[in-house]
Amino acid sequence: MSSGEIYLDNCMTSKPAPEVLKAMQPYLTEKFWYPGSFISTGEAINDALNEFKGIVAKSLAAKPNEIHFTGGGTMANNIAIKGLLTANSDKGTHIICSAVDYPDLLTNAAFFEQNGFEVTYLPADKDGLVSAAELKAAIKPETILFMTTIVNHVIGTIQPMAEYRQVLADAGHKIYFHADAGQAYGKMPLDVNELGVDTLSVSAHKIHGPQGAGALFVKTGTKLGQLIHGVSRVDNLQTGGVNIALLAGFAKAVELAFADLPAQVDKLYELSEYLLTSIEKTIPHVELNGPRGRKRAAHNINVTMDYIEGEAMTMMLDLQGITVATGSACASQGLSANYVLMAIGKNHMQSHGSLKFTVSRYTTREDLDFAVAKLAEITTELRKRSPLYKEH
Amino acid sequence: MQYSQKVLDHFMHPHNVGKMDNPDATATEGSPACGDQVTVYLKVNEDSKVIEDVSFLSYGCASNIATASIITDLAKGKTLDEAKQITWKDAMEALDGLPPVKVHCSVLAADTLQTAISNYEIAKGLKEVPLFSKDTIVDELKKIIYPQVGEDIVTLKMVKYVGFTDGEVIIDLNIAEFDTWRDNVVEEIREHLEKYPDIKDLKINLP
Repeated sequence: MSSGEIYLDNCMTSKPAPEVLKAMQPYLTEKFWYPGSFISTGEAINDALNEFKGIVAKSLAAKPNEIHFTGGGTMANNIAIKGLLTANSDKGTHIICSAVDYPDLLTNAAFFEQNGFEVTYLPADKDGLVSAAELKAAIKPETILFMTTIVNHVIGTIQPMAEYRQVLADAGHKIYFHADAGQAYGKMPLDVNELGVDTLSVSAHKIHGPQGAGALFVKTGTKLGQLIHGVSRVDNLQTGGVNIALLAGFAKAVELAFADLPAQVDKLYELSEYLLTSIEKTIPHVELNGPRGRKRAAHNINVTMDYIEGEAMTMMLDLQGITVATGSACASQGLSANYVLMAIGKNHMQSHGSLKFTVSRYTTREDLDFAVAKLAEITTELRKRSPLYKEH
Repeated sequence: MQYSQKVLDHFMHPHNVGKMDNPDATATEGSPACGDQVTVYLKVNEDSKVIEDVSFLSYGCASNIATASIITDLAKGKTLDEAKQITWKDAMEALDGLPPVKVHCSVLAADTLQTAISNYEIAKGLKEVPLFSKDTIVDELKKIIYPQVGEDIVTLKMVKYVGFTDGEVIIDLNIAEFDTWRDNVVEEIREHLEKYPDIKDLKINLP
């Protein structure tokens, strides 16, 4: 087995679809131009950009002029959060998010906290769910922004968006609503009108598009302060150059993901549920992190293997050509336990021993059978070595 | 791949792994909360004081397991006095190095070996239970690795002052506010020192 042959870390990044590469190719060769007016080369790129915007807009039930391309999900989140807060800080300086949000949201919250804003971090329950009742209780007259991560990036929990929308509508004053849809996009239907969001971020490389492309939905009439100043070739939210090849790939990835979304989502659920059942059937002392069934995203399974440590497991799996992620401190850049798992009440050992598998349309049952068989061997071997495992 | 081939070999096929029946001494260091725990078992020849057998169990990452494997190799067949000289640096060298961020994982196995030897000597009346002093604190601080460079915080002169009076410990650290590893180092100091009943209060001052 060579590196990454069985790739089960699709929430980190996913393999570009062959059709995506093909769609990008002309824009890396003969159609390398920038957007512009009146001359044929510039108009050709304008037309292409509009077409791509239309494709992304359709996938979210948005209008094409509500879609702004970015250099990825993080940039989209920054443009939205910083843009909303700088444009509206005269109306209030209180932000609400949750303890289990994606780092983009939490680091932005921390940044504004350091600059005079107040932030309320809503707690999550044992399954990672952040209730609308908690949101309701946290709202004050100064609240200006609520942000959420629709699908949790660690344990796949789907947050109650419809209930959030109702609470915000009943708040009595305008509270801007930003959603990170990085892990939700292509894994469940998303309709920006139903969601009631003002801004929403998505990323191309989580849905078999290229790395370095994303999009931000901004509801018509929503004012954002400009974050990046420079030459405005497309609009003020996306100044500077346009990487048209990446956007061509992004648009193609969206077309593929949304061609038959319900069937694709069902297939992902089948695969992830098959994986979980196999693990639970084959390996003792395993616990699922996050909710069971359709309360979690279609592609995510997060389990803790008791008595052993995650970095050792991912290393051994890696040597067998299997790529997965772990919440172990030893595998993290900051050497600390995973904050999402800790926030839902898991202890250090449960976090250190966690493994995250995320499947994709390219995952097969054979891949999963092989991965589970190897995982069973590895678990047995590491438990033999562990002083915490008492069944020696 | 940041690990050397030697680390991978010892991680995949560790030597001296397993619980020992009737050991002459054992020691367990670390805790699941810290992310790693090692137990070392010793069999010592009472006359020659040679470590005739040594084994370990490890709850930890690849670096932790590989270090426990090599350090038990290094200790086997040595006299207690020789084995007392083995440090985490010897283990690291024998493994052809470790990534800086992983060095701290190697310290635990070396520590556990030393504690097992000490436990043996105390049990056999070869030495007294060591008195707790400022030196104990400094020795513990020498086991705390600054992850960015893989060297301990005493050698790196990050410890500006250590005070110990009437159970109260004061440590002045020189780690900048924006340092990524600041919380990590502080947390590790607490983990290392809070196990000592002689310490009633621990104050860590930061710039």
